Amino acid sequence: MTARGAALVARQEIRTRLRTGRWRVLLAVWFAVVNGLALLFRLALEADSTSRYGSPGVPMFGGVLLAVLVLTLLITPALSAQSINGDRERGTLATLQVTPLAPGDIAFGKLAASWGTGLVVLLLTVPSLLWPVAEGAIGPMRAVAVLLVTALLIGVVCAVSQGWSALLARSITSVLLSYLTVFALIVGTPLLFTIAVPITSEQGVDGYDNDRTDRIWWLLAPNPVVILADAAPSLPKRRIIIDEGAGSGGHRVDYYEAPPNDPLGSISRGVRRLRLDDGHYRPSYAERSDGPPVWPFGLAFDLVLGAGAVWVSASRLRTPLYRVPKGVRIA
Amino acid sequence: MGAPEGLGIEARGVSRRFGPVQALRGLDLTVPYGQVTALVGPNGAGKTTLLLILATLLRPGEGRVRVAGHDVRADPGAARRALGWMPDTFGVYDQLTVQEYLEFFADAYGLAKEARARRIRALLTLVHLDEQPGQPVHALSRGQKQRLGVARALVHRPRVLLLDEPASGLDPRSRVELRDLLRSLAADGVAVLVSSHILSELEEIADRVVLVDHGRTVGEHAMADLAEAAVARVRWRIRSLDRERLAEALTMAIDDLPGLDPGLGPVRELPGGAEVGPLTETEAAGLLAALVTRGVPVTGLAPAGSALESAYLAMTETRR
Repeated sequence: MTARGAALVARQEIRTRLRTGRWRVLLAVWFAVVNGLALLFRLALEADSTSRYGSPGVPMFGGVLLAVLVLTLLITPALSAQSINGDRERGTLATLQVTPLAPGDIAFGKLAASWGTGLVVLLLTVPSLLWPVAEGAIGPMRAVAVLLVTALLIGVVCAVSQGWSALLARSITSVLLSYLTVFALIVGTPLLFTIAVPITSEQGVDGYDNDRTDRIWWLLAPNPVVILADAAPSLPKRRIIIDEGAGSGGHRVDYYEAPPNDPLGSISRGVRRLRLDDGHYRPSYAERSDGPPVWPFGLAFDLVLGAGAVWVSASRLRTPLYRVPKGVRIA
Repeated sequence: MGAPEGLGIEARGVSRRFGPVQALRGLDLTVPYGQVTALVGPNGAGKTTLLLILATLLRPGEGRVRVAGHDVRADPGAARRALGWMPDTFGVYDQLTVQEYLEFFADAYGLAKEARARRIRALLTLVHLDEQPGQPVHALSRGQKQRLGVARALVHRPRVLLLDEPASGLDPRSRVELRDLLRSLAADGVAVLVSSHILSELEEIADRVVLVDHGRTVGEHAMADLAEAAVARVRWRIRSLDRERLAEALTMAIDDLPGLDPGLGPVRELPGGAEVGPLTETEAAGLLAALVTRGVPVTGLAPAGSALESAYLAMTETRR
């Protein structure tokens, strides 16, 4: 496998793609819809004046980002779920396989092409994400981190979809399974978690059920929304000092409060707290501490999934073939 | 350019099974350099399976296969660089132009930039597409696409060329051009293997013929031997001005010809004549003499099939 070979395949893929569909129109529509919705969302936030402190840029950033993540992950399977079996159906794969191009060249080239297209889709949403950064509500590091994680997650979905297209003979089946994979990651993980909570809960000494989420938090880890929210660097907390009554008899509370209306931050705190076994003790808001991070596990899991899918597609492209899968046309 | 040493393709005892279906059962094949070898056999005889194995896409179950001296199992990469392959049906990237299509494959084979431009120009001239380099591939006719496929297979100057049913869908002119192209490649020392059903055509293209049936080699002949062989009993077409008299005479001619041992064979009526046989040339001459003495106005007597066709029919007869 060589970088030159993979680049050649990627160039070819992108060139044939650009000439097939109405890409320019589709991308323009996508740009208008996403940024238009973000603008409307912003207007709604401005109109709603209940926000206690901070700029509407914080909820705007989090909301738009999560919407962008889910939408791009829904688009991504369309980019690569037919890339191998579609070529087989069109009869263009075998002529590629008899050239000195290695299976890895073809697999990585195709992945680079679909991932690249996915990144263009992501890039078009950047204006509405940069707005809160430009007005200072969100630090540039937070924006860079979340864009990086989103880009990686798009790559994972591209790789998994391509893996399905290498495994399955019919492109309609691979498209379906790619969408089901995205669905399983986004919806399936919280569903499984919810089911697992009562199953794993223990009866405490006082007769009440004691949820042991510290044993099953990892079920939520592969969820792209969780990974993205948890990987986003948290916003600086605000120190809250309540001093009632002067002098020695006064009641004084001093704590740090995370900024409200931050969707990313609240998801992150929620999943981190699942890792703590706090038993029945329900600490007050001020005393609550965050658990250890969840995202490294989730991201690692998803990256391993993606790497495995690339390996599967490369090994499925290896010739001479001994076992011919059912329904696969070699040439 | 002389033919290199050794054989272009050497296959010994190749077998291949797909689940319960035994596609190849110990097939042997040799394709020398500088010659066109025809692979002939009925549908399902294993021709396409064999070509896929030779093209390094499918692994043989048993047996040894060498392409340009490289074992396809041990070193498929070296075999790939030496072989050009054109499948019976193949897709092209419809969105590309003819020039871009060939450039892509030239790059895939790692041709240098300057060599690439020269090679593509030469190929386009060779397959008579030099007036369409900028035309999108989807606008080509079926015959032009087929020729583009040949150009693609030749882009890296392979020493071994495999073609699966190359003449299907070609108009008569393109077939003649394909024939000339394959002959000139063979003259340059390339080992060419062509599978086809169009027997009359192979006779003009091929130097050798390998007959396969039920996954086995049932005959391997030089075309010249096949034509000379006395066993070549073929059917003959007789044209006459008077069909009724011809038919009448044919029924009686059997008794009059002592040399005609198995008889005239099935007599089939044709518009303006009849078909009889198989007969040798001597027998046919005797038949003609008998017909003429009976006053049948014969205007023509010619072999209906070719030597290759009769060899093919004799081989596949066992199926019925």
